[in-house]
Amino acid sequence: MMNRDSQREFQVLGKPTPKKDAPQKAAGRAEFADDISMPGMLHGKLLRSPHPHARIVAIDASLALALPGVRAVITGRDFPGVRYGNLPQTRDYLPLAIDTVRYIGEEVAAVAAVDEDTAEEALDLIRVEYEVLPAVFDPEEAMKQGAPQLHGQSPGNVSAHTESHFGDVEAAFAQADYVREDVFETQPVKQGMLEPHACVGLWDGFGKATLWSCKMSPYAVWRQLAMGLDIKPGDIRVVQTYVGGGFSGGKQEAMPMDFCALMLSKKTGRPVKLVHTMEEVLIIGHMRHPMKIWLRTGTTKDGRILAQHVKLLANGGAYSSIGGFSIFLAGAMINLPYRVPNMKFEADRVYTNNGFCGALRGHTVVQMCFARDSQLEKIAEDLAIDPLEIRRRNAIQDGDVTANGFRINTFAFDECITRVAEMSGWYNKKGKLPKYRGIGFGCGAHLSGARLMGHSASTAEMRMLEDGTVHLTTGSTDVGQGVETVMSMIAAEVLGVTVDDVHYLKVDSAATPLDPGTFGSRVTLFTGNAVKQAAEDICRQLAEVAGERMGVDPRDLMFFRHEIINRKDEKQRCSLKEIVRWGMFQQGRIFSGRGSYGYSEEKIDFRTGHGNLSPAYNPTACAVEVEVDPETGRVTVVGLWGADDSGTPLNPLAVKGQVIGAAVMSIGHALYENLIRVDGKVMNPSLRDYKMPQATDLPKLADFKHSNVITWEPEGPFGAKEAGQGAGTGVIAALANAVYDATGVRLTSLPMTPEHILFGMKRLQAQNRGQ
Amino acid sequence: MTYLKRLPRFEYLGPQSLAEVCGMIAGTSRDEVMLLAGGTDAILQMRRRERVPRRVIGLKGVAELDFVREQADGGLAIGAMTTLRTLLASPVVGRRYDLLRETAAQIGGNELRNVATVGGNIAGALPCADMSPALMTLGARIRLSSGRGDRWLPLEEFFPEFGRTVAADDEVLAEISLPPPASGGAGTYLKFHDRHSMDMTVVGVSAYVVRDERSRTFGDLRLAYANGAPTVFRAKRAEAVLRGRALTEEGLEEAAETACAESSPRTSWRANGEYRLELIRALTKSAIRQAWEKASSRQEARP
Repeated sequence: MMNRDSQREFQVLGKPTPKKDAPQKAAGRAEFADDISMPGMLHGKLLRSPHPHARIVAIDASLALALPGVRAVITGRDFPGVRYGNLPQTRDYLPLAIDTVRYIGEEVAAVAAVDEDTAEEALDLIRVEYEVLPAVFDPEEAMKQGAPQLHGQSPGNVSAHTESHFGDVEAAFAQADYVREDVFETQPVKQGMLEPHACVGLWDGFGKATLWSCKMSPYAVWRQLAMGLDIKPGDIRVVQTYVGGGFSGGKQEAMPMDFCALMLSKKTGRPVKLVHTMEEVLIIGHMRHPMKIWLRTGTTKDGRILAQHVKLLANGGAYSSIGGFSIFLAGAMINLPYRVPNMKFEADRVYTNNGFCGALRGHTVVQMCFARDSQLEKIAEDLAIDPLEIRRRNAIQDGDVTANGFRINTFAFDECITRVAEMSGWYNKKGKLPKYRGIGFGCGAHLSGARLMGHSASTAEMRMLEDGTVHLTTGSTDVGQGVETVMSMIAAEVLGVTVDDVHYLKVDSAATPLDPGTFGSRVTLFTGNAVKQAAEDICRQLAEVAGERMGVDPRDLMFFRHEIINRKDEKQRCSLKEIVRWGMFQQGRIFSGRGSYGYSEEKIDFRTGHGNLSPAYNPTACAVEVEVDPETGRVTVVGLWGADDSGTPLNPLAVKGQVIGAAVMSIGHALYENLIRVDGKVMNPSLRDYKMPQATDLPKLADFKHSNVITWEPEGPFGAKEAGQGAGTGVIAALANAVYDATGVRLTSLPMTPEHILFGMKRLQAQNRGQ
Repeated sequence: MTYLKRLPRFEYLGPQSLAEVCGMIAGTSRDEVMLLAGGTDAILQMRRRERVPRRVIGLKGVAELDFVREQADGGLAIGAMTTLRTLLASPVVGRRYDLLRETAAQIGGNELRNVATVGGNIAGALPCADMSPALMTLGARIRLSSGRGDRWLPLEEFFPEFGRTVAADDEVLAEISLPPPASGGAGTYLKFHDRHSMDMTVVGVSAYVVRDERSRTFGDLRLAYANGAPTVFRAKRAEAVLRGRALTEEGLEEAAETACAESSPRTSWRANGEYRLELIRALTKSAIRQAWEKASSRQEARP
């Protein structure tokens, strides 16, 4: 029947399509959570701990409650005391602290008042008596005996430990012609989303609680709210608003503000809104894990990797968030994009009295790729192998099964390398650029959604309206990356309608199907497959009616430009709308399609690390050219050229936006961004002092090129794979390699500040003089 | 915690004339009363509770403090409430004081320049202020007004220590006055920050060169620094190194070394003192060279 799974010409897909919500956003009409106003609505504010580690002895809110305009004050004792979190073994978070605070900025109490200023004034009137406890900020210190303990159930402050071993690392190192060890360090980096977290909670008088909020993964929030409030999930409704950037900066889970909006509403009977300031966004948890990565690699003399051994120490901050998976993923991704026949991975994520860490675009793959591709460049140099050649010699190929059990379908890594070499003019530049100008190469890989132990299946539902348009619902959210558009495109492709004929609704747990939501580059592949199925389901129903009416075998019908056509005799056709109406009005049919994609037939063993974590994997390569000012050490990024195998790009315009966005975030990570903390206190909690790159920090568009290496991924909907994260993974190493090429300074810790580069150059000059 | 809070409560006064302002601050202390110019620093200070004044006197209604005027002697008078945007748009500034234009253009973004004022940048007395080094090298004098009358003093004598000025509690910075640009004079302001886009100054160097056309030597040289010490300051010993000499690499090195010796930059989480010294060394040389080249090309371009 309507099987369009062949690489035929698309009707809708593959054409650069502007985001459907662009007009609303450009006109300022998109309603974000902070734009919501309800009759009688109150405004909430959160009181935060000034101490990195302290016991709460007593809280007296009487003065705050007496302030005119204050309607309610709540503390941790107003909640049932049930800890919530992502992974069952790491549930360590409370809606508000009850007896202990573990980082500066942790939420201690909340106020609802008639306006924001009154609520904030009331915060100053809450008297909290703390008994200050010794604090620890460095993970190595935290692991030592006698260090302050953050959580009773985690001796040694180890919040998560993971290890895996495939092949025989010791034997392989013994055989290796060449072995080297390096240590790399990375810094805390924030997501930098422009919309701060915001929510409105309403707990009606009949036990039903509704939260409107900018959530990436509303169902994860829904479940966590039920956990922390200790009520039935069915009594909670989560309604997604527009999301002004996510990057896993807290919008993927329930936050203290969400619990407090609901609890304050329960106390007051009024809707309550909470909005974080940008400063709050920057001081609270949710950031990329700072890491220390020890990496040992053994190769043959022609540069083939025989073994890699990694020890990783992650500074997790005060709570777990998704951190257990974060370090697991870092280990799993050692297996891509190079063949590593023997690998060993040992990692600890350690609690410290800092804001806690979790995911951020590229998750922990970014740090691993920085370490691995920086080291690979040193290996190439030591063995006198061309840096591109050493990558080709080790590149994973289609059909490979990695040591840890990743089954690779499509992986056009070689072609990515070749394209970048061409676009960047690599062979005309490497070693031939003027002094203080350099070019570097970096590679990485990503997965298209991870199969987790919990819930990983995506679902979609579609309902035909009488005018031939459809309502499409999934549990996945548009966080600015273009999900609304690409899901509508997939549905339109199958149904033979236009993108605008598909109405993609936001997630509302009362109406949309269950789905883990947006994270881990899963949406295009997982939800896309579900949407495709749902559309095919509707087509089947329509073909049945049309076949009957046209006297044709339904299997011969195809859907094309608002018509249903007999593929065997194309003159036989009728309009889609006619069939929809006939079915609805005359036969009383409901055209409703469903689809799901689980990809969970095989299990991953999270204890050993073995298993096929994702349905598809994508490689990336990039080259960066820099100029370094020899007087100040400042880096100018002159050009960036990247190539990715994102399968078949369904919306090339959105793919371009995603890959450039990912690359830009990595430039920020490499050169500028650093959440500076002194004794647990964030020193730069503003976007003035937390420095993200702006347009003038980036190469001009003429020197910022990207190429899609098009493959047809059998697991993807219409051949597609992820595009939003992989493209950023190779950039940091490429920059480090370029700085090295320009100056001879090899930086192994981030960010690569002008100061580090300048003093590195001075050390080299001193060494050269000494020789 | 010194994180941002809502604004503290204060009484707001909106005088319309300088005389009114002087009347309002007469007999008050700095802790009691705060003058508010553009507010780009002051509002943050209040929100961090670094300053909790009982009374805030907003100067934006005082029209007589908002002007850029050419003087009869060929000099320039700038009202303290002149915004950076007004300064940038002023034809005379563009034509005759491009060092000022160059400096103002490097401060913040458009939104900030629309409200930030020249007077506020100076009177805030922060070592990272960008306008002060440029104005100092242009030989700026400032007028302090009070109910007792006016007094004039060189800008370089305005900052006795970090965060302080020599202005008495009843005085307000009203005007900045510049002498006519010297023949053969040209200046440049080099502001360094890690990122290329708008950012806080790590080190700023203003160099003003008066080139003696006949002898092709430095007739005069003035150097002033942002973040080179606890206050903006002039490096007079470094200036003296090059006066009367031609431009040579050795001369530049020597001047830069001397400037470093005169500086005492601090270490903070923004940058280490050691690195700031390296910047002072490098930027001093570049700034002098660029100012010299500007002065030379102007002399050559002259008919």
